[in-house]
Amino acid sequence: MKLSLRDVSLRFGGVRALDSVSFDVEPGTVHAVIGPNGAGKSSCFNAICGVYPVGGSVRLGDRELTGLPPHAIARLGVARAFQNIALGGADTVLDNLMVARHHLTRAGFVSTGLGLRRVRREEDRHRARVTEIAAFTGLDAVLRTPVAELSYGGRKRVEFARALAAEPRVLLLDEPVAGMTHHEKATTVALIRETRAVLGVAVVLVEHDMPLVMGLADRITVLDFGRVIADGPPAHVREHPEVLRAYLGAHS
Amino acid sequence: MSRVMRTVGTVAALGVLVAMPFYLDAFWLQVGAFMMAAIIGAIGLTVLVGTAGQLSLAHAFFLAAGAYGYAFLAGEPGAGSAGTTLAGAGLPTPLAALLAVALAGGAGLAFSPVAGRLNGLYLGVASLGLVFLGQHVLFNARPVTGGFNGRSVPELSVFGFRLTGDEPELVLLGVPFGARERLWYVALACAVAGYVVAGRIVRGRPGRAMRLMRQNPIAAASMGVPLRRYRAGAFVLSAMYAGLAGILIALTARRIVPDYFGLVLSIEYLAMVVIGGLGSVRGAAVGAAFVTGLPLVLSHYGDDIGFLARPGEDGVDAATAVRMLYGAAIVAFVIGSAQQARKAQKARKGTPNAITITMDRARRALPGGARRRLQRQGR
Repeated sequence: MKLSLRDVSLRFGGVRALDSVSFDVEPGTVHAVIGPNGAGKSSCFNAICGVYPVGGSVRLGDRELTGLPPHAIARLGVARAFQNIALGGADTVLDNLMVARHHLTRAGFVSTGLGLRRVRREEDRHRARVTEIAAFTGLDAVLRTPVAELSYGGRKRVEFARALAAEPRVLLLDEPVAGMTHHEKATTVALIRETRAVLGVAVVLVEHDMPLVMGLADRITVLDFGRVIADGPPAHVREHPEVLRAYLGAHS
Repeated sequence: MSRVMRTVGTVAALGVLVAMPFYLDAFWLQVGAFMMAAIIGAIGLTVLVGTAGQLSLAHAFFLAAGAYGYAFLAGEPGAGSAGTTLAGAGLPTPLAALLAVALAGGAGLAFSPVAGRLNGLYLGVASLGLVFLGQHVLFNARPVTGGFNGRSVPELSVFGFRLTGDEPELVLLGVPFGARERLWYVALACAVAGYVVAGRIVRGRPGRAMRLMRQNPIAAASMGVPLRRYRAGAFVLSAMYAGLAGILIALTARRIVPDYFGLVLSIEYLAMVVIGGLGSVRGAAVGAAFVTGLPLVLSHYGDDIGFLARPGEDGVDAATAVRMLYGAAIVAFVIGSAQQARKAQKARKGTPNAITITMDRARRALPGGARRRLQRQGR
């Protein structure tokens, strides 16, 4: 399902974090959002997720996301992997992935407290599916390990897997390889490629690692001071004079 | 611990608890009933504070709602102490108990517009207001509460059989089964049910959602957890647990007075859940038993403990000594858990990267056809 941003604007006081940002993300593609620090990349994610109220319109397929609370947007199939790891530290990897099934499951306080059969069935069914996703992301060996005991790269991987476990239509990845070792980076890139190929979801990627972005993205939107300064395939964006100026400070 | 060991342990512990009334005298049975009531209340609070991360100082208010709700709904109208006239609904007592739990839950629900919007310390301060409001009502709504002198609590009975009274007479294995013995089982049944239900909730879908909500609300919302609903839900659940605990306290004490349901009581419950380790259902039970049992036992044996002053004398009396003791217990717990955290951190630094699985291995780990299945089930 296509994700479209149309004239999305967001201000913090006098600062325009986003200024009429528009771009489309096609299903089955990796769409990178890049730009210098403070260009509005994370604000863009927060706008899509409904963390801040924004002007303009964010649509998923024919559904309007603007104005919906974050949990309702999650229900429509937008999942996010956070840059600064936002997992439950003391909980196991399995529990952390199971949280992502929240919008796909029903069990409430009463039925869970009473231990109803349908709650146990639901739990079993979703645990099985989460175990598959853990295998897909290479986490099956540590399913019962508390997240706090994993390395940084490991926790980053759980963050990615959790977003995947929400069965997203749109997957938002906020700097998924930041701070990773070379080896971990290669693995994550392989995972993202695999996700695009196997699940056909629309992946939106914020990342600073330029060679990685150029090699991975199907399309790139470049932001600077909250505005879109370039949008297109990597080859197009790489040569774009505005982009060169924003990154290199060159006068052309 | 293996599953079998755990089952054996649970069965043994339950067996001991069931056998207690055959061996303990009335004093210890009463202490036990108070402990089990507190265990229920503390479990409710640990789910709210420890799992959902919502600080509440209003627990005394909801305990009072349960206790007075039961006393009013089950009580017959009549003359109270000091010339007051008491109102009472005169309902069958089990129904009154159910309604009193619902009443406490309803009070929690009525507060949920506040509980759903605030978190952490802010909610703590806002909930403080409920305690003062509650006590004001307890002192002044005399026909319902009996005012300063309180009101007596009707015994729980089913078809004429007193579950917390002496009628009809009952002797089991040569042991007379009076009010204290019967109350023990009522409290035990409630405590076990409360423990099991809370355990399931904490381990299940609501518990996972609440834990992530505590640690990172934005992440929880992004995973589809409606924050307001879950904050309010945790608050109502904890209020209902407090309501049930309040009923048991009322049944055990036989008379309830407003003074008891003050801020100190709320703080005692916070002490219970902190001593036991926030968010741990078992810990809350241990903390509750410790905080409730200790003052009762110390004042009972106060005469034998040399350094404790008798009531009215100068010096440290049992109640004060107990406060110091659980103050010390809280400090010990906090230092202990800080050390544990440091140890865990060291252990992490020592071990090599726990995940070194490459994409190839991940792909191999996928069972045959899993990729297709992944594709089919994904949207």
